[in-house]
Amino acid sequence: MSVEAIIRLVGVERTYRKGGESVRVLDDLDLEVPRGGYVALMGPSGSGKTTLLNLIGGLDKADGGQVIVDGEDLTRLGQGALARWRAASVGFVFQGFNLMPVLTAQQNVELPLLLTNLSRRERREHARHALALVGLDDRRSHRPKQLSGGQEQRVAIARALVTDPILILADEPTGDLDRDSAGAVLELLDKLNRESDKTIVMVTHDPRAADSARSIVHLDKGRLERIEDRRPLEPADSTTT
Amino acid sequence: MPWLLLFRNLFAHPVRSLLTLGSIVVAVFLICFLRAMVGALEAGVEASSQRRLIVQSAVSLFVNLPTSYQTKIEAVPGVDSSMKMQWFGGYYQDPSNFFAQFGVDAERLLRAYPEIEIVEGSALDFEARRSSCIIGEQLAADFGWSVGDSIPMVGALYPRADGSTWNFEVAGIYRALSNNVDDRTMWFHFEYLERSLETGGALGPGGVGVFVLHLAPGADATGVMARVDALFENGPQRVQTTTESEFQRQFVTMLGSVPTLLSSIGGGVLFAIALATFNTMLMASRERTHSIGILKALGFTHRTAFALLMGESLLLCGLGGAIGVAVALAIDGPVRGFLMSYGFTAFEVAPSTAALGLGLALSVGLLAGLAPAIGAARLRVVEALRFEG
Repeated sequence: MSVEAIIRLVGVERTYRKGGESVRVLDDLDLEVPRGGYVALMGPSGSGKTTLLNLIGGLDKADGGQVIVDGEDLTRLGQGALARWRAASVGFVFQGFNLMPVLTAQQNVELPLLLTNLSRRERREHARHALALVGLDDRRSHRPKQLSGGQEQRVAIARALVTDPILILADEPTGDLDRDSAGAVLELLDKLNRESDKTIVMVTHDPRAADSARSIVHLDKGRLERIEDRRPLEPADSTTT
Repeated sequence: MPWLLLFRNLFAHPVRSLLTLGSIVVAVFLICFLRAMVGALEAGVEASSQRRLIVQSAVSLFVNLPTSYQTKIEAVPGVDSSMKMQWFGGYYQDPSNFFAQFGVDAERLLRAYPEIEIVEGSALDFEARRSSCIIGEQLAADFGWSVGDSIPMVGALYPRADGSTWNFEVAGIYRALSNNVDDRTMWFHFEYLERSLETGGALGPGGVGVFVLHLAPGADATGVMARVDALFENGPQRVQTTTESEFQRQFVTMLGSVPTLLSSIGGGVLFAIALATFNTMLMASRERTHSIGILKALGFTHRTAFALLMGESLLLCGLGGAIGVAVALAIDGPVRGFLMSYGFTAFEVAPSTAALGLGLALSVGLLAGLAPAIGAARLRVVEALRFEG
């Protein structure tokens, strides 16, 4: 049984200018990710993994081709519309956590909710719930500096899921973590994928992290090299080119 | 709009923020203070009567005129009346207790200066007793003097021959109805001074400092001034007649270009603080680059990024401006009292001055925040997230 593709990339190209030279980072890339999928993007440095993730998340725009996410062609959206789309549809988890150092865990998680119509009380409740989900309810008044790396990343995951996005994009989420913390973060992502039906796309160099995904997309020099299915998604999963 | 983030960012580096805030406070305070000071210097000129003329020595204000000039001056067509006025330059107990004292023709004072209103005691008592005086309300309040008190004054220009003090009885307390007369002056009988000098009871220069002329209704000031000056063209002592406002202006001019200097200092301070604030905001914007990237990734727009940086700058400068104005208003009363001793009656941090101070602070905030805010709005998310400052 085929599953609807939530992400569809058709002939995507992205070129950067560096020192007066054009560097093609993504070259005629086609890719589909099914709704509820959990995909790891792997490849050597410079293969275009993070660029691809940025295009899917609407942080960057393709020079050519189409980037269609949940039926929306991101290449046609202006900056304002793209920002609104990001706020409603995507949760980001970064390698360096990217929390606001001047805000508490609770306030960091509440931040994306400022773009919604929720009341202050509702925002607080949603944030508390999200923090409870990542096991940090008792750390909500702590600032990032007062948390361990693993805890910071869990706060970042809480922030990513607090708006209930359809898509979670993670860029090396375990890159700055020790083995135990990384394990806990991967477990959390897996749980979100299984239990909350979140589609997850994760850039990683870590084979152990990639193992937690249901499929691994290998990139090289901006091109799709191969797709490796790891474990079946229930009830069905397919990642196709 | 993440207001909390704006407030937290403002004091993310408390020492730097407080130093910048402090400099804005000082600048705004100085601007308010200096503007009030310039206003005080110029108020006397603006409030001067156009119907009064001042006759002084053509040589210098410090050279006295013969008392006999008064009769000749009063005979000049257009002159309604005249009054002798002599600077006494004494002090009460200690030189630090300084205030202005003038010897005048007592019975002519209230006619020459209708801006003086007796509120306690009586003008008749003042005119009747040669050793009496009238004092301003503020002066009475400062030293706790009331009608009937005797004020012992040390004569600095006119010491008593036996080394004792002059004694002036308070016959009345007055209120000044205009800025060209202050509430901290003592007016006494010129005759008391003159007689003491003549009898050898006191030492010092004879003659009169200035004559205050009151113009007759319909008289042309320019014509009267020319006629009075012409009257003494051949001596024995040449005179210079001016309007009271011109006379006041000469006083301000005697302070050199103080008003201009004060204004220049204010402008210089403002410019320096503007540069300091620009620097702070540029540093802040650099530090915020990554945060702006995060906010944009979360879905906040360019407008939010602009507002965050601009808001931070406006908040910092607005807060500094408000504190600066508050400090200026707080010292308004004490400074006014102090300056009155020196004849500057109109020191006041006016609402327009407070608004100017606050407006300038916000303008600096606007200018200092503009470039960083535009930069933040233009930041590309990917580049901002990559920025490690």
